Amino acid sequence: MTISGLGPHGERAAPPERVSLLPDDRAAAQEAAWRVAVVLHTVDSDWAKQQLAGMVGIFGDCGAAVIDVVDCGFSPERQVAALDRLIAQRPDAILSLPVANEEVAAAHARVAAAGITLVLLDNAPTGLLPGKHYTALVSADNFGLGKIAAAGLSAHLAQGAAVGVLGFAADFFATNEREIAFTKWLQTNRADLDLHVARFDRMDEAAEVSKRMVAEHPALAGLFVVWDTPAMAVSDWLRHAGRSLPIATVDLGEAAAIDMARGGSTCCIAAQQPYQQGIAAAQTVILSLLARPVPAWIALPGISVTRDTVVESFQKVWRQPAPKEVLRLLGLSG
Amino acid sequence: MPPLASVPAESQRPRGKGRPRTVETAAPSLVELLNLVRTEAATTRQELERHSDLGRAVVADRLTLLGELGLVDESELGTATGGRAPRLVRFAARRATILVATLDQTAIGVGVADLSGNLLTEHHEAADLTTPPAALTDRLAALFRWSLERHAAPQGVWGLSLSVPGAVQTGAEGAFLTTTPPIMPAWDGFPLVETLSRRFGVPVWLRSSVETMTMGELHAGAGLGQRTMLFMKVGRRIGAGIVCDGQLFRGAQGAAGLIGSLPVTSGGQSGTLDALAGSDMIQREGLAAAHDGRSAILADIQRRGGEITAIEVAQAAQMGDAASVAILATSGHLIGQVVATLANALNPDLIVLSGSLVQTNDILLAAVREAVYGASHPLVTRDLRIIRSQMGSSAGLVGAARVASEALFAPAFLKEWVMQGRPLAHPAFVDYLGQLARTAPPDPAPPLPPALGPGPSLRPGKEPLS
Repeated sequence: MTISGLGPHGERAAPPERVSLLPDDRAAAQEAAWRVAVVLHTVDSDWAKQQLAGMVGIFGDCGAAVIDVVDCGFSPERQVAALDRLIAQRPDAILSLPVANEEVAAAHARVAAAGITLVLLDNAPTGLLPGKHYTALVSADNFGLGKIAAAGLSAHLAQGAAVGVLGFAADFFATNEREIAFTKWLQTNRADLDLHVARFDRMDEAAEVSKRMVAEHPALAGLFVVWDTPAMAVSDWLRHAGRSLPIATVDLGEAAAIDMARGGSTCCIAAQQPYQQGIAAAQTVILSLLARPVPAWIALPGISVTRDTVVESFQKVWRQPAPKEVLRLLGLSG
Repeated sequence: MPPLASVPAESQRPRGKGRPRTVETAAPSLVELLNLVRTEAATTRQELERHSDLGRAVVADRLTLLGELGLVDESELGTATGGRAPRLVRFAARRATILVATLDQTAIGVGVADLSGNLLTEHHEAADLTTPPAALTDRLAALFRWSLERHAAPQGVWGLSLSVPGAVQTGAEGAFLTTTPPIMPAWDGFPLVETLSRRFGVPVWLRSSVETMTMGELHAGAGLGQRTMLFMKVGRRIGAGIVCDGQLFRGAQGAAGLIGSLPVTSGGQSGTLDALAGSDMIQREGLAAAHDGRSAILADIQRRGGEITAIEVAQAAQMGDAASVAILATSGHLIGQVVATLANALNPDLIVLSGSLVQTNDILLAAVREAVYGASHPLVTRDLRIIRSQMGSSAGLVGAARVASEALFAPAFLKEWVMQGRPLAHPAFVDYLGQLARTAPPDPAPPLPPALGPGPSLRPGKEPLS
């Protein structure tokens, strides 16, 4: 599977195999007994839980202690405070998902200036450079995810239909790439469609923004929501309003999988591989601490998920069986 | 901040009998003071008096005017050193933005920068430069509009600067481009500058990618604070950017550093450096190694239906593939020989290698180092550092922003617009836009509002990117 996007500085993607650990690497890491902190946008989402599970396992294998897992609650202020607090605790490395662009750039630069190894997840604030401020960025191929979602939704749209794009207002590499790729794919392959874009600042605004969009464009025939949690909020209000509108989104969370299996609004999911991404991120931290060269951008391809493939996709992404509810809804169990 | 309209026109300002109008006398001192503030050579009134040789009253008067025009800000206090904390004089870099873009053979990049040339956002995506120029320009415009939705400034956009693959001739251009110079054969006849000027209503500048990347590296990368630097871009074409005394050296025609056409010899073959060391050679040799069984890794990529480009060969080399290592080493040695000649001529502090090939592996860098250290005078290599760029394609965007920023605030250009508070009111630019409106065909794209409101909004209808 190929990577279709470019990195935040135009880098070509390196596959996760490039950061595989050899037995010697694990042995050296165990001897060093490093202390690592993880700073996430949230710890509540399925994506974050999977990511954490992947990375914590690798750190365990390598004898590295995870001394803190910070939940920033999507707040730049909280993230800046957390990074400054962690700098004072002098961990050997910090794995951070920058929740914004300019607002958190200086705090991340302070981590590097303090001599702490920094590996980024999903977003690189403008002005921060690999090799100088951070060693590597590990993310999904978000441009590819946007294309998968567009191709999936396109199959549900009649000629000349109106499509809504529900983006994230924060200047964030991952969601920017998805939105740009989604619209580019439709404009290239479905020039007949009529696109309308709106963005939400906070997740709890997503349903409200989509209500306004539907009110202003009653002919709307499909929606793209940039990730699954707000997509489920939109799907819920549509169901309560008695509306049926196909939704394409990113991330195979449990609720999205159930909605898809039920035959709800979710018609197409471009799934990331958060568990595998967590593994790649932790391996990148270990290699960086061992002073081994790492690629500037390590990217994992997305997976196209439909109702027909939701069970095996769930197993692939989550590395565990699909939820019983999904199996029941698909008639695969009692 | 008062709106611009509240600044009285010069002809309406009350003045004493017999005194010359401020417009006749103030512009040079405004230009001098603004550039001292902009370049941070002076950050307080006292420093401005010292650096400019202007009296306290004149400095105070001019700063008031620059404040009214929205070009400087004095709201911040500095650190006290014994007495009252001095009021800091800051350049209002966020008053407007500069649009920047890079066009490469296989990718485009777009960004929004502030007036100091700092990038606020950037996006890169794969693109094919053989796409018809009108379609690629539409794509650039769409991405610019998308970026501006996130980074609107009170005064909108003030300039647009592009980095293009080929050399851009110096010469007849004035403070900004009014026609499109020859860039690449496939783009001949396409009015790139005119199209973008008309669509965004701003002056446009073009520079070669090597020049913009050199500028970017000099002002925001490894070259920060360096006086003499050699920047090497290695890709399909190989070019050099030369920095002397802290300034980019462009040459008589803007063609300095076109080293890719130099003749070299390798394995009994003679050809240009581009042909024998560039990415086309690396790809070709990589394909041959996959076919004849010398490279198991490259053969495996092909067996799985993957395409072999120079990047795959570079990645295979990094993974220890012997055939790929040999290909990269050959390229690195040839480049190193030419770089050594340049290094002996220039005696740089720093040589920076850039380009996707250099980013993806260490072999090329090592081979260049070996060749340069082996073929240079000991004094040349005594303190010489040869490193890889950390900026990637961002260097081109940052450098393009610096080109526009320096042009907008060049004293000769600034003098003509500073009293109006915005370069779009420069008489020559107003004339140029008028001329474009009279001669150019109507533009199908919607006009850009002068200043976009903050926050997300529903956009009616269908825009190119939307």
